[in-house]
Amino acid sequence: METQSNNVLEVRGLSKQYKKGVYASQDVTFEVRKGEIFALIGPNGAGKTTTIRMIATLLKATEGDAVVAGHSILTEPEKVRQNITYLPDEAGAYKTMTGRGYLEFMAGIYADNKAQAAEFVKTGCEICELGDRLDDKIGSYSRGMIRKLLLARAIMSKPALAIFDEPTSGLDIINALEIRRMIKDLAAQGMSFLLSSHNMLEIEYVSDRVGIIAKGHLLEVGTPAELKEKYNTQNLEEVFEKVVMSNEVC
Amino acid sequence: MKFVNLLRKELKEMLTPQTILTLVIMVIILSVAGDAMSGVVEDAAEEISQITICDQDDTEFTRSVIALMENPGDGVQNEVTEVELQSDDYAEELERLDTKSLIIIPEGFTQQVNSGQQAETIFVSQMTSLSTMANISTGSDVALSIIEDAVKSALYSDKITEGQLTEEEISQLEAPVTISETTVVGNKSADVSATILYSMCQMQGMFVPIIVYLLIMYSSQMILNAVSTEKLDKTLETLLSAPVSRLAVLSSKMLSAAIVAAIYAIVFMFGMNNMMSGLTMGDTSEYTEVVEYLGLSLSVGQYVLVGIQMFTTILISLSISLILGALAKDAKSGQTLIMPIMIAAIIPYLLSLMLDIKTLSPVLRFIVYAIPFTHTFMASENIMFGNMTIYWGGLIYQIIVLIVCMSFAIRVFTSDKIFTMSLSVGQKKNKRQTRSLFARK
Repeated sequence: METQSNNVLEVRGLSKQYKKGVYASQDVTFEVRKGEIFALIGPNGAGKTTTIRMIATLLKATEGDAVVAGHSILTEPEKVRQNITYLPDEAGAYKTMTGRGYLEFMAGIYADNKAQAAEFVKTGCEICELGDRLDDKIGSYSRGMIRKLLLARAIMSKPALAIFDEPTSGLDIINALEIRRMIKDLAAQGMSFLLSSHNMLEIEYVSDRVGIIAKGHLLEVGTPAELKEKYNTQNLEEVFEKVVMSNEVC
Repeated sequence: MKFVNLLRKELKEMLTPQTILTLVIMVIILSVAGDAMSGVVEDAAEEISQITICDQDDTEFTRSVIALMENPGDGVQNEVTEVELQSDDYAEELERLDTKSLIIIPEGFTQQVNSGQQAETIFVSQMTSLSTMANISTGSDVALSIIEDAVKSALYSDKITEGQLTEEEISQLEAPVTISETTVVGNKSADVSATILYSMCQMQGMFVPIIVYLLIMYSSQMILNAVSTEKLDKTLETLLSAPVSRLAVLSSKMLSAAIVAAIYAIVFMFGMNNMMSGLTMGDTSEYTEVVEYLGLSLSVGQYVLVGIQMFTTILISLSISLILGALAKDAKSGQTLIMPIMIAAIIPYLLSLMLDIKTLSPVLRFIVYAIPFTHTFMASENIMFGNMTIYWGGLIYQIIVLIVCMSFAIRVFTSDKIFTMSLSVGQKKNKRQTRSLFARK
C-alpha cells in the first residue's frame, strides 16, 4: 500500500473479525497527517480500541492494512513499533518502580544507545512535572500522577505517531486540561496523534479531525467544524447522534 | 438483623463458586489418595502374612517353629514358603525367589536354643522405596516377633510337659532369638537393619518432595501473578507495543522466574538440610558408609540428574502458569487459576510421601505418571534405587510435555489470544450482551 508523504498513518479497509460474521471493527479507512491530532469517537464497544490495537500491532487485522511512517502493520510490525507509542485506556505502571525508574526502563527499550536513553528520560521528567515525587514508588502515586507519567513515557521518545486510548479518562478537570494542552503543544511541534474517546466535547476541543465510529463502522470523517456545519449542530455529541441515526448499521 | 446482614454478605463473598470448587476437588484428591493408600496397606498386610523361610538347621524343633509360624494362634494364618538358597548373594536370591524378605534359620539354631543361648536368625529384606507405606512391612521387628513367638511357643509347650521352668529358662524366654539383618538395595546388600536405613534416608526422601512442591507453587504463583497483573494493569499492552519482540518479553519473564525459583531451591535445600540434620537422632556416622555403598545417598552427578528434572518441572509449571495468567479476567480469577497447578502438584506430592507409586494399580499408576510433576517427586528415589528406566522415561515425557506447553504458551503470547482470551470461574456469561458489542456483517 502506497502512502502520501504527508501522512504518518494510512488505514485502508482495516477489519477485525473475531468469529465468522462477528466484526469488532469493519472496513475502517482514514489517515493521520504529520502534526495532526486525529480522534476516533464513539460509544463504548464501538470498535475504537480494537482499531487502535490493530494499528499498535497488538491485534492482527483480519482484512485491510495500515501503514505507519511507511511501514505496514502486517508485514513490518517491528518497524511500526519503532515509530509509535501507545497509551492504553486506564493503563497502570509498575508499582514497585519509582517514576524515574519507570522512565529509565521504557527509555531503555525505545532508545538505540545510552546517551539517547538519558535524553529520553530527561525529556520525560520535564514533561511529567512530577518533581521530587519522581523518586517515589509509583504505588504511592495518584491516578493523575500515573497518567502524567505514562503520557511522558509515551511522548519522551518523540514518536512519529502517538496513540492514546481515552487519554484523560478518570482524571479530574485540572489534570485533563493539562494533558489536552500538552497534546496540542506537541502536535504543534510536529508530532502526530491518534486519539480515541467517548468524551466528544473533549475531542471537539483537542482534535484537528475526527472519525465517528459506531458498531465497528467508521461512519464519518472531518474536522469538528465541518461536521457541525454538515449536520447543522452545536457540538459533536449532536453530530454523533445524527450520524448514528442516519446510518443503518446502528 | 444488621449483624445477620453483614454475616450473610461476608459469607457470600468468601464462599464463592471458586472456593467451593477448591473444596470439592480437595475432597476428591484426598479420597483418591485414601483409596490408593488403603490398597497399599492391604498389600502390606498380605506381605506380612507371607513368610519366606530357609531352614538350614532342619531339625524337629525348627520344623515345629515353622509350623507355629503358620498358625501362631488367635485365628491368624500365615502363608509360609520354605525355600533352599543357592548362593550367598542375597540380592540375587531375593530376585530368584521373587520375594521382598527372607528369614534364614542357620545351622546350629536348635543347638543354641537347647544350650540356653540366644539363637541366631538372619533376616534379609529388600528396600525399594523411601515412602512410609513401602517400609511398614520390611522391618526386622515383624520378623523377629514372628520367630520369637514361634520359638517361645515351641519352648513353652516342651517345658510345660517336662514340669517347672527354671530361672535361666525364664530369662531365655524373654529374648530367645537374636536377629542379624541384611538389607538389599538394588543388586547390593549390607549387614544393616532396613529400619535404620529407612530412618536415615527418610529425611532425604521427605525433603526433596517438599522442595519440589514449594518450587512448583512459588514459581507458578510468580509467573501467573506477573502475567495477570501486567494484563490487568495494561502494562503488557504498553510493553508489547514497544520496539521489543514478544518472544524477548516472554523469555525474560520465564527466565527471571526460573532464576528466582532456583534461588528459592538453593535456599530451601540449605535450610531444610540444616533442619533435617537437626532432626536426625543419635550418631549415625557409622552407617554413612553403608548408606553410600548401597547408593542411598546421592552423588554430585545424581544431584545434577535430580536438578535437571526439577528445572524441567519448573519450566513446565512456568509455561502452564503463563497460559493461565493470560486467562485471568480479574485479580480474583488470577488466584483461582493457580488451582490446576496446585492439584497437579499436590497429588504426586502426597502419594510420593506416603507410598511407593510404582506399586499402585496400573490404572492409578498411569494417571499419576501422566502428571508431569510426578516424575520429579520420584526422581531422587528412582536414582537411589536404580530405577533409571523410570527416571529417563519420566524425563523424556516431561520434555515432551514442556515442548507442548511451551509451544502453546508462545502461541498465546505471540498472538491476539494474550489480549482476547479470558476465563472467569464462577461468573455467568451473558452471551446476548457480548454479542451486541459487535456488528454483524
